[in-house]
Amino acid sequence: MLASSLSNALSEIRRKIGKEKVLTEPEDLYAYSLDASTEHKTPPSAVVRAYSEDDVRVVLEVANKRKVPVVPRGSGTSLTGASVPAVPNSILLDLSPMNGIEVCIEDGYVMAEAGATVLQVDQECRKYGFFFPPDPASSRIATIGGALAENAGGLRGAKFGVMKNWVLAMEVIVPGGKKIRIGEPVYKWRWGPDLLSLFIGSEGTLGVITRAWLKIHPLPEKVVRVLGLFDRIENAGKAISEIRRRGYVPMILELLDRETIEIVREVLGYDVPLGEAMVIADIDGPEEAVWRIVKEVRKAMEESGGETTASDDPEEMEQLYLARQGAYAAVTRAYPGVLLEDITVPLSKLMIALRELDKLRKEYGLRMPIFGHAGDGNLHPNICFDPEDPEQVRKAREMFLKTGKLAIELGGAISGEHGIGISKKDLFLEEIKAVRGEGYIELVTQIKELLDPNGIMNPGKLWF
Amino acid sequence: MSTTAVPQIVRFAAENTRDVGDVLGIGPDQRVKWARGLLPRGPVNGTIFYAGEMYPVMGNAEGAFRLMRRLEGFMNINTLAKAGPIMKKLGIYTTGAKALWGGINEEYERALQDAVFVLKKLGVEMGYLFEDEPPSGVALHTYGLLREFKEHAKGVHEKLKEMGVRRIIALDPIVATAFKLYYPEFVEGWEIESYHFVEVVAKKIAEQGLKLKLGRKVKITYHDPCYLARTIGVVDEIRFIISRIEGVEYIEPPRHGVNTGCSGDGGLELTQPPLARKISYERIEELRETGADLVYTSCPACMMMLRTGFDSLNYKIGVYDLASLIAEAMRNEIDRVDPMKPEFKRYNVLPKSPKPKSLSLEDLAEMLRRDTDKCKKCGFCNVECPTANALDMLESRSARGRMTLINSLVRGDPVRPKEVLDRLYSCVLCGQCSQICPVGLHVQELIIYGRAYAIYSGRAGVPS
Ligand SMILES: Cc1cc2nc3c(=O)[nH]c(=O)nc-3n(C[C@H](O)[C@H](O)[C@H](O)COP(=O)(O)OP(=O)(O)OC[C@H]3O[C@@H](n4cnc5c(N)ncnc54)[C@H](O)[C@@H]3O)c2cc1C
Ligand code: SF4
Ligand code: SF4
Repeated sequence: MLASSLSNALSEIRRKIGKEKVLTEPEDLYAYSLDASTEHKTPPSAVVRAYSEDDVRVVLEVANKRKVPVVPRGSGTSLTGASVPAVPNSILLDLSPMNGIEVCIEDGYVMAEAGATVLQVDQECRKYGFFFPPDPASSRIATIGGALAENAGGLRGAKFGVMKNWVLAMEVIVPGGKKIRIGEPVYKWRWGPDLLSLFIGSEGTLGVITRAWLKIHPLPEKVVRVLGLFDRIENAGKAISEIRRRGYVPMILELLDRETIEIVREVLGYDVPLGEAMVIADIDGPEEAVWRIVKEVRKAMEESGGETTASDDPEEMEQLYLARQGAYAAVTRAYPGVLLEDITVPLSKLMIALRELDKLRKEYGLRMPIFGHAGDGNLHPNICFDPEDPEQVRKAREMFLKTGKLAIELGGAISGEHGIGISKKDLFLEEIKAVRGEGYIELVTQIKELLDPNGIMNPGKLWF
Repeated sequence: MSTTAVPQIVRFAAENTRDVGDVLGIGPDQRVKWARGLLPRGPVNGTIFYAGEMYPVMGNAEGAFRLMRRLEGFMNINTLAKAGPIMKKLGIYTTGAKALWGGINEEYERALQDAVFVLKKLGVEMGYLFEDEPPSGVALHTYGLLREFKEHAKGVHEKLKEMGVRRIIALDPIVATAFKLYYPEFVEGWEIESYHFVEVVAKKIAEQGLKLKLGRKVKITYHDPCYLARTIGVVDEIRFIISRIEGVEYIEPPRHGVNTGCSGDGGLELTQPPLARKISYERIEELRETGADLVYTSCPACMMMLRTGFDSLNYKIGVYDLASLIAEAMRNEIDRVDPMKPEFKRYNVLPKSPKPKSLSLEDLAEMLRRDTDKCKKCGFCNVECPTANALDMLESRSARGRMTLINSLVRGDPVRPKEVLDRLYSCVLCGQCSQICPVGLHVQELIIYGRAYAIYSGRAGVPS
């Protein structure tokens, strides 16, 4: 891509949408040079701040004509480098100013523009006694566009799944500037293949999502929190599969290992119970039924070797959640370098995965606190290292790869929710080779070429 | 001042503070007149009432800002700052200010007089230094002129020691913060105790078991100044004092205490007035929606921003210092009912301050690099950041973006110190970012140190 095409493209964009929306001062560009992966630093050559669908349309029309790469960005909280440019002379398309939200209770949906945050959408729904279930831990800042493009999940994923499960319709602008409306804001519709799923999880490589109609859910009548403490991590794994096997689906079902609990105690000074592992489950339901289910969930935990406590008192519930709530802060405070892994394994293999991960950390001698949304088999081993020590950096990278490979071997996935971006490209190809077959790459490449013949959309991500 | 990277208006304020003793350069005659006949000259038992460099002249500042708002579009604030020295040369500066804004200034002077009245009524023995009161120089700190601040603070310390000052009671929370936090950090051997007015008043009211009567019924709300609440953790004293005044119906605004929606001083009203105004309007709406008839606060900068803001939006709601409410009540009969031990929680919500080994460029860079490297780009700070919110999440003027830019500056990326400084000056130093950062970075203070580095780095033709 030539620098002259970029400057011609920028002049045209400025003329069409207003020059104040196009930033090219180095200080503005460097501010956008990183996302939450923190390791792929590349400033874009320009930032266009999209205030309307029309702004997006112009950018994709001009960029396509002049073959200039475009990197869509919501809030830049991708943990894999998905929202920073991977190639020079890119335009970063900042969608955060497009943040309108409209709730329609009668029809059971909320319409959100791409830049609205997941939490803002949830809060809007709560005003009417409803909520928006997907809740990535970054929901206060992550945008709807980013969450859809990453198919984000969250704590409540154990029961409510991921973004994909909550979309009724979407509007997408594709290279060339055409708008495609996919789906309808109704609970049932069908015509032809489901194109919604094509764009969900596409990490900005096929087009730009400008707005989405999302399903909403009534607020649970009652929530009770159960905490189980285990003296062997495998037992915690067993308890989780046991709860699911017996047919109970808690709203959240989180796991924390000893290292995580220790770091929370050490770094934040929180008085949380120490054990080899902790499981936190939120049981929701009608007042009459919830305690009965709580009893069954406690039983499943206790029969797997755990000690349990439960509460529906808001303050006590907060106390029970303290270790999980502080986990990210504690780990990032304690270690300047953290590689945040994100594997998923079948629930039946959770125990094996935990055992193997424990072996891995012993073999490499680096701390690797593990926490995660174990209820859906999604684990976040946090590989901690000193970025100034090359030996530790090497070890951390190797552990990162081996963790991914372990997931593949166990029939799982290298990413549950954080996506592929730049960081997981190699692992992704291994996973495809191992389980999806070569036809997959061929098919998706053809789709990509069809939608984005000039390869302008977020090049250098996935395998594009 | 040898630092031309700083805008004219900042140099004007900083030089005035250092040379004349107040931010506007109004001069000692005008500055001390509020205290004539009220207080003895010099410390009494080592204690002084400290008026500071803002309160006694703040009405002039308010007048100047009102004028600026009218002139906007014709004249920029830096041009107005250039007019200052010319007017001084012509001998019309002080008299001009008095003629134009003397009336407004009396309202701020009244706050000081009311504070002194209250303290005396409570039996606090103290004096005032009149023309000899050395300015705290906190503006130098705010604007990142840290070497100048250090030098200045050393002189202030010597002068205060020479005069036998052992205890300071300040009405301005920004100078109280300077004496409580910055002086101990920058001046070796600093042992002078310092208190904010409300700390002393709450303690005395509790010890003496006082119940006050306002003699009328009012509905009030209180705007917690960020320096007082978030930085030095004084919150409960205010609620206690208000609860002791009969006739007051108190309404807490949604964002209060350590979570105050105060959008800080940070000097933004000098460097980027339209942005400062935009931010203040949001708070004004929030305070108005409480339905209170009167708004009280405890900071000259807040008082000015709120007064001008309410006026610009045509809301007829008075804004006063809390000292005036207490004074009004103390002019009536006082009941002594239930003496108690004063116990007020000192909130400590901000992380540890960063500390460079010295103010040399190398040491500043080393500390800034190490700390900003720890930023995980999670963006949680941006959600709270008032400037980011006012600018539709523009990254380069957001908390996270400022961390990225400081890192870029000290790492030698092609960014220009003067332009980085401009983005750092757009921060209001409200500290909400520091309060939320999971990694425990004191973002607000890193920004002050970043300002210093940008100023002294001497690149982009800026002499060091
Ligand atoms: C502290 C922390 C906790 C996290 N916890 C979770 C978690 O629990 N679950 C989880 O799933 N993720 C989590 N994440 C990862 C990340 O926050 C999510 O992937 C989030 O959904 C990304 O949103 P964003 O707005 O920041 O997107 P960005 O980072 O800006 O973009 C992510 C990707 O989406 C693309 N994109 C953005 N907007 C659009 C659009 N409108 N149209 C097309 N493509 C677009 C970008 O090009 C990029 O490829 C976490 C991250 C952090 C920092
Ligand atoms: S960067 Fe921090 S201190 Fe500055 S305005 Fe934003 S939140 Fe406030
Ligand atoms: S909250 Fe802290 S770690 Fe997160 S982006 Fe802001 S400064 Fe960085």
